[in-house]
Amino acid sequence: MKKPLIIGSSILLILLIPPIRVYMESIMIIHMLVQLPLLIIAGWFLGDYMISKIPKVFILSNDNGVPGIILFVAITMFWMLPRTLDEALTFPMYELFKFVSLPISGILLVDSWGKINDLGRIFIYLNYLSMFALMGWLYLDSPIQICNNYLVDQQKVLGWGFIFITAIMVLYVVQYVFTDQSELEET
Amino acid sequence: MSTVIGNNKPKSNNKLIGTSLVIGGVVIAAMMIFGILMLLAQGGVISVSDAMFYQFLTIHGTGMIGAAALAAAGVMWYFLSRYVNLSRKVFIWFLALVLIGVVMVVVGVFSFKFASAWTFLYPLPAISASAWGTIGALLYLIGMLILGTGFLLLYIDTGRAIIKTYGSLGKGLGWDVISGKKRLEDAPPKVVVASTMVTIVNTSALIAGATVLIMNIINVINPSFTFDPLLAKNLTYAFGHIFANAIIYMAVIVVYELLPKYANRKWAVTKLFLVAWTMSTVFTLLIYTHHMLMDFAMPKWMLIMGQALSYANGLPVLVVTAYGALQVVHKSGIKWDMASGLAFLSMFGWTVGVVPAIVDATIVVNHVMHNTKWVPGHFHMYMGLGAVVMLFSFMYYLAKIDSNVKESKLDKIAFWCYALAIFSVSAQFLVSGALSTPRRWAIHYPGWMTPAVFGAIAGVFLVIATSIFIIHFVRYMKNRGTLGSDMNEQETA
Repeated sequence: MKKPLIIGSSILLILLIPPIRVYMESIMIIHMLVQLPLLIIAGWFLGDYMISKIPKVFILSNDNGVPGIILFVAITMFWMLPRTLDEALTFPMYELFKFVSLPISGILLVDSWGKINDLGRIFIYLNYLSMFALMGWLYLDSPIQICNNYLVDQQKVLGWGFIFITAIMVLYVVQYVFTDQSELEET
Repeated sequence: MSTVIGNNKPKSNNKLIGTSLVIGGVVIAAMMIFGILMLLAQGGVISVSDAMFYQFLTIHGTGMIGAAALAAAGVMWYFLSRYVNLSRKVFIWFLALVLIGVVMVVVGVFSFKFASAWTFLYPLPAISASAWGTIGALLYLIGMLILGTGFLLLYIDTGRAIIKTYGSLGKGLGWDVISGKKRLEDAPPKVVVASTMVTIVNTSALIAGATVLIMNIINVINPSFTFDPLLAKNLTYAFGHIFANAIIYMAVIVVYELLPKYANRKWAVTKLFLVAWTMSTVFTLLIYTHHMLMDFAMPKWMLIMGQALSYANGLPVLVVTAYGALQVVHKSGIKWDMASGLAFLSMFGWTVGVVPAIVDATIVVNHVMHNTKWVPGHFHMYMGLGAVVMLFSFMYYLAKIDSNVKESKLDKIAFWCYALAIFSVSAQFLVSGALSTPRRWAIHYPGWMTPAVFGAIAGVFLVIATSIFIIHFVRYMKNRGTLGSDMNEQETA
């Protein structure tokens, strides 16, 4: 029962270890596409544990999953902005906010994902698909250095990272809609 | 699989569908008035400032496509809901988001003078030479984004429902029948095939559109963020062309449903029909490149693909549909009324309207004709005499089966008036194109003016006829449910 708590806390603690934190944040693509998602994943495991311990809180505050998923989208969109990534390296309070807000978004995601209906899930998925494509395009195509802390070369690597994720997401959608879901449901 | 399993009470949804058609119809009529004003200005009859002309151009293009898509989505929803379980709530959200988007676009265009045309071609929204400001551009772009979100929600719902009932979108297109895994008798109905195609192409288009719209929004807010203009143009047309093209694929469902009922003949799904729709699904996604034939920096293979697939896309669905319609009607003793007449007329409009497009999709012709009024000649015929006529056909059909509102002689006069008027409007554009009259120009040389004036006069008759169609449908909306008809529930697909 405590397994998710242990996994979530371990990920969070490892990410907090100064050399690991500093190394991850020194490379833009690892900062954006590894550290930030890992913080969300840590929150996902912690949320899994918290839901089993204090279910009433989640029922009262996020009954149908919509408030939670809106907050999740807002938090992740905030951290996708180049400026916020930059500020996290410049201002300690931003860094602290990052390590608090992203695990919270993970908690909100695990609670909301099971509650929102198929339509909501598909909408959120497609929303992120277009957003990742846009971010990839933005980082690849920008002729200026967007962040003070990262060089243009690092921006371009991050841009390709986003494009790669977008391509994987498109492939997943294509395989999902063109493979027989009724047979899968029956089995 | 073709059993009716969806909404058991189709009539209960008629108010909702009717609302989308009334809004669509009224907006189409209003946009026609802006079209007339533009033609009168180009013809030198009235004086319209250049800035105002381009505002008219922006609202005319955006409004026509948006309104026709709204009404066509209503038609698709009406018929598809008989075969799959669609969400009423989503349709209401769709209507609400589209309305919010429309209001923002209208305010952006008329209160804040945004006038980049529907193409909002990057980087024009941000670089207007002070013709409009940031607020106008943001209102238009965010309005379009909200409008697109409404449509995306609708297509997510149709896709979800089709996958739930048929297993996958591939099965919705009948791939298991094409491959021989399933008998032809168990093929999905035509409504489902067409809706699956539209769901696939429009979801792709809307995602491309959302990406380029947000990119434009970023550029408007902070012009130091610049992007590759050629990629932006590709995404803009991948959105705009596919979305506009899909209107006819939604609207044609009414022809599939209506003509067999009137002719009392079965219009069976064949393997050729399924193959044609699959081909059109692929081609529709790819042929937007015929809008890029003048962009020398485009990869050559994409331009060749644009030409070849545009030729190819003109044929499959159109041929099976037009030929099928002729087969169903020929010597059937069909009783012609407004609904069946308009459905048949739309087949003519679709067939004829495709021809100038195929001509223009030829690279050597495109270099000469694409920036002339030849292109508006194509899409006014294709949309005005094809897709929009299908929508009017559905309006009369619904009024007939769900009310006691009778058709009058005035409606029949409006039928011929509409047909001749839209044909004249389209013809004057084609003639103007042949005269090398540039499109999207506020001012014309005297030698270019006569066709424009002729088009404006034809446009007046077009508005009168359209108003008669809409008044008939509004009368239906007021008398809805006063007549039960077996035709309403009858299954023919």
